[in-house]
Amino acid sequence: MEDLIRILRDIDDSVDYGKETALIDGQILDSFGVITLVSELEEAFGITIEAAEMTPQNFNSAEAIWAMVKRLQEN
Amino acid sequence: MGYHTSLYVFVFLPVCLVVYQLMPAKWRWKALLFFSYLFFYLLSGKLLVYLVGATALTHYIGAWMSWQRAQEAEELSGADRETKKSIKLKYRRRCRSALAVGILLLIGVLAYLKYYNFFISNVSGVLLWLSLPFSPGEKSLLMPVGISFYTLQAIGYMADVYWGKAKAENRFGRMALFLGFFPQIMEGPICRYSDTAGSLFAGAPLTAENLSQGYMRIFWGLFKKKVVADRLAVIVGVIFGNYTEYGGAYIAVAAVAYTVQLYMEFSGCMDIVIGSGKLFGVCLPENFRQPFCARSASEFWRRWHITLGTWFKSYIFYPVSVSGIVKRWNQFGRKHAGKYLTRLVTSAAALFPVWLCNGLWHGARWSYIFYGMYYFVLIMLGTAVQPARNKLLSVCHIREDSGYWRVIQIAKTWVIIFVGELFFRADGLQAGFHMFASMFRDFQLSLLWDGSLLGLGLGRADLAAVAVGCVVVAVIGSLKERGEPIFVRLVKTSVPVRWGAYYALILAVIVFAAYGDGYQSVDLIYAGF
Repeated sequence: MEDLIRILRDIDDSVDYGKETALIDGQILDSFGVITLVSELEEAFGITIEAAEMTPQNFNSAEAIWAMVKRLQEN
Repeated sequence: MGYHTSLYVFVFLPVCLVVYQLMPAKWRWKALLFFSYLFFYLLSGKLLVYLVGATALTHYIGAWMSWQRAQEAEELSGADRETKKSIKLKYRRRCRSALAVGILLLIGVLAYLKYYNFFISNVSGVLLWLSLPFSPGEKSLLMPVGISFYTLQAIGYMADVYWGKAKAENRFGRMALFLGFFPQIMEGPICRYSDTAGSLFAGAPLTAENLSQGYMRIFWGLFKKKVVADRLAVIVGVIFGNYTEYGGAYIAVAAVAYTVQLYMEFSGCMDIVIGSGKLFGVCLPENFRQPFCARSASEFWRRWHITLGTWFKSYIFYPVSVSGIVKRWNQFGRKHAGKYLTRLVTSAAALFPVWLCNGLWHGARWSYIFYGMYYFVLIMLGTAVQPARNKLLSVCHIREDSGYWRVIQIAKTWVIIFVGELFFRADGLQAGFHMFASMFRDFQLSLLWDGSLLGLGLGRADLAAVAVGCVVVAVIGSLKERGEPIFVRLVKTSVPVRWGAYYALILAVIVFAAYGDGYQSVDLIYAGF
């Protein structure tokens, strides 16, 4: 989780990722931010994120992103 | 029978409502299907066959993928880890092939009907330029209404089933209703199956609340269309139709007038569509969210024709962003080109197909392709200068949320929108450039108050009606932007206030709408796309 927070802070350090639950719905993370995040996540956690995973639910909070990462690692 | 006609609002809708209510709840969706196909047949006649074909293809490909998933689950049970991988891969390839066939066939039909003649005329132009004797002939092709909308909806459904985001619909009739629902077939909004299917098939009974809110929304749409848009169509028609005779501020007036006309018409039509859905308890997604409050071109497109933008983002932008080639570039770029350039190239690679498709989706014209590329370049420029811009704002102590900076950004976005719509509406790309260039010759702002505008087909009363209409729409939009949606609040007010407002709106449409001599019935612009 710490690695994830570091990646997120690298993209935008003005957000409180512990509390924020509307990263996508609140347009805090725009489309370009999401695709940067995807490539960072793939490299850091050795996962492959496909188009099917690109939903607001998977990216709205650090917790949701972490849950997706764990799920993809298990697959 | 457009959505703005008396026949639709006062005859078709009420008859449909009565039949719908008389049906048992479980058959109500069948009544909606009957009226949807009747509506489509009245508009497109035998071309209904295209809708039926697209529905059959979408339905059976979805069902086949669902069957494959069931088989996959059966094979997976009890298999070891390695075997599971190969089973998953096998079924994934099969489903991907089915999805590809579905998309290719749907796009193929759309491309043939919509772009064949455009392609042939360009090929003929090249052959003529090369002095070759062969010249392929154009064909007389008729396009069914709404094909651009239901094709995207069908592709979205198949992709969602492939990705496991939607469960495949096992009843053909329900798929037919999802793709052909009459309020949205002509102009959208482009819906996702998972968002609308529930309320579409629920067979909810008519309620006083839905009826009053639905008809209120319909009349609000009629107000925008008949009071403002249809009047502005006169000015727009005069200047764009005789663009060589006008220059300077007249062209700027035409660009602004067309932008306002398009907004009032398209968003008004969406009000009628969403209101029509509401009557039956069907929740259709919003397509506009105060677009003229946008502070940048990209924000404008998150507020204008929202469902089209969302479709492009979900089914083009993200799939391209996570495609193998873009991912490989990302890895290579971060090691050798730096984060800034990597992000820029990745964004360009994902955005280019989005804006090319956006332009082409609107029609087979070079001016539409230019329109798409115009926004692509502007959004890429915005991304490219963002770090420098942020630094500059910091040095100059300009806060992003300060009022004056907001006004400057909104004004800049307005100019971008108006110029874009000038090219969008112009009769061809050449005409667009001619008009744009002539805007800078003999620019006299005084024509706004010296009576010159009266020579464009509208009298003082008409211009006043347009101005008042725009102010009313702007005030209501501004309240909505501040989180005070007036229509939602109106429902909670006392009966006399609420019904007073309803009657005032109906009266405004009847009294101030553009009827009679000097006006022609203006067809819905987006129905032509």
